[in-house]
Parts: sequence; structure tokens; C-alpha cells
Amino acid sequence: MKRVIALIAFFSLLFILFTSVAFAQVQTRLKVIRASNVGQSVDPPLKELHNELRTLFNFTSYRLLRDENLSLSLNQPVSISARERRIIMEITLMGLHKNVAELRIRVNREGTEILNTQVRLSPGRTVLIGGPKVREGVIIYAFYAHF
Amino acid sequence: MKDFCSSVSKLLEKYFDQEVTDEERLLVEGHLQDCPACQDVLSSMEKLRTLIKVPVEEAVQKEDLPWVWQKIEREIRLQEKLTWWQSLRPWLDLSPLLKKKVWIPAVATIMVLLFISAQIFFKKIPSYSGASVVEYVESGTNNVMVYDLEKARVTVIWLFEGPEEEASPS
Repeated sequence: MKRVIALIAFFSLLFILFTSVAFAQVQTRLKVIRASNVGQSVDPPLKELHNELRTLFNFTSYRLLRDENLSLSLNQPVSISARERRIIMEITLMGLHKNVAELRIRVNREGTEILNTQVRLSPGRTVLIGGPKVREGVIIYAFYAHF
Repeated sequence: MKDFCSSVSKLLEKYFDQEVTDEERLLVEGHLQDCPACQDVLSSMEKLRTLIKVPVEEAVQKEDLPWVWQKIEREIRLQEKLTWWQSLRPWLDLSPLLKKKVWIPAVATIMVLLFISAQIFFKKIPSYSGASVVEYVESGTNNVMVYDLEKARVTVIWLFEGPEEEASPS
């Protein structure tokens, strides 16, 4: 009987490890963009995004500052720094469903929280968070689901 | 007398090996006092035992017992040193489990695990197609705008910093 209990415990542990690894992580792509009206240049990776946002924004220049693949774990915050004017973004995976990841995003400037939001990110959907001012322009964070 | 002797002689070996009952012992000892023939038989048994016992004891004394003991200990140690695979094999051997009625709790456990995993694998996902992408948004310092470009499947959360906002959505 001891052997049975040991085997059950072993397989339960494997099961827990498998499910925790397989289901509690999500891959998200994050682009940090500086948009401004200084110049007319648009970085090639941002041309598609620029076309989509043309109707919405009147910026003439889009520069890609960072392009990262984030591996988010449940309730584990990840911090991203924009390197300019001490803007720090904290992203936390709050929930994960089949095709939807719930992300809580907090933006801090110099230690003060300027934005707190929770969004549902799904494949094919882009979530842009923009507005914090830097130099002559603004910072835009673009989130893409990778699952 | 001869018949009685033959019946007692059957008990003599048991008497010699001290395997008789008290009753039998009294019978044999009473007979031995009056029967020289049976006394001779018992005496020859004792001589035979002495003949065997003495050389065996001498051989044991000559034998190097510590060396024999070392050999035994070495054999025990060799048996104890199992490889990791050998030590794991008894745990992986499921055949004894199949003989016992242990499959009932095992199946029950598997069913529970399957039920839990089914909840994870086939969990009904709330339909978010109609729901907003933004669950909530708040800012203690600035105004915030949320805008959905459904055609492009883009959701914009825009933070208006300062009254002299220039780079606002058009």
C-alpha cells in the first residue's frame, strides 16, 4: 500500500508540475515606441502599425525603442523601463484562459502611479497604451499576444 | 527380556539425544541398570559421538573465522550496493499491484486527476468577443481615453498628460 501511495504522490506531483508549467505562462510581445512630430521617419517594423493608427494619431515620426518577448507567469510582475523620464511599466498576468490573457498594467513616472488598467489580450488583438510624455513626443506601449 | 530390550533399544537413540519424555526416561534408565547389553549400546553411542565431535572441534579451531566473517561482510556490502536503476526497479514494477486490490484507489485517483485536467483543458471560456478588452482603467493624476479600432482590432488607452497636451489622438 505504501508503494501505491508513493506512486500516486509521484504522478500527482508530475501532474501538478505539468499543469503549472503548461498553463500558467503566456508569451507576450511588447514594443516600446516613441511617437513625435519631429521629423518624418517611421521605423520599418512600425510601418504597419503607423498605417493602422494614421486615422487616430497625427504623429509624423515613430521610433522603435524596444521590442521584447515577455514570458509572463501568473501573478509575477515584470517591469519594463522606458529609460526616459523614469517611466516604468509593470505588467502582471492576472488570469489565463484558452485564448485570453488578462494583464494588469501599471505605469509609474518617478515613483507616482499615473495609470492602472487591466486588459484582456487575445491573439490578433493589439493593445496600445500611450500618452506619457518624453522629450518632444510620447511613449506608446504596444502589446501583442503570442499564444 | 530380549523382547523388552528390543523395545527399549528403539528409545535408546531418543534417550541419547535427550528427546524422550519423563516417563520414557524412567523406563530406559530402569532397564539400563539391569541390562549390560543396552549399557554397551549406549556406551558405543557415546564413543561414536566423541569420535565425531573431537575432529570437528579441532577443524573449527584451525579455521580462520575472522577471515570467513570478513568474506561474509563483503558479500553483504556488495548486495547492498545497488545501482540507481536496480533500486528504482522495484518501485516501477507494477505486477504486484495488479495482483492486489489496490487498483480501486488508483483508478479513483486517476479519475479525480482526469476530472481536474478536464476542467483545465476544456474549460468553457467566457465569450469575450462582445465584452470590452479593457476591464478597467484608472489614473489618479491624468485623464484617460479608451478607443477601439474594431477593424484593425486595436484598442488604445491614451493618457493625457498636462493641459498643454499636443500629441493627442486626432
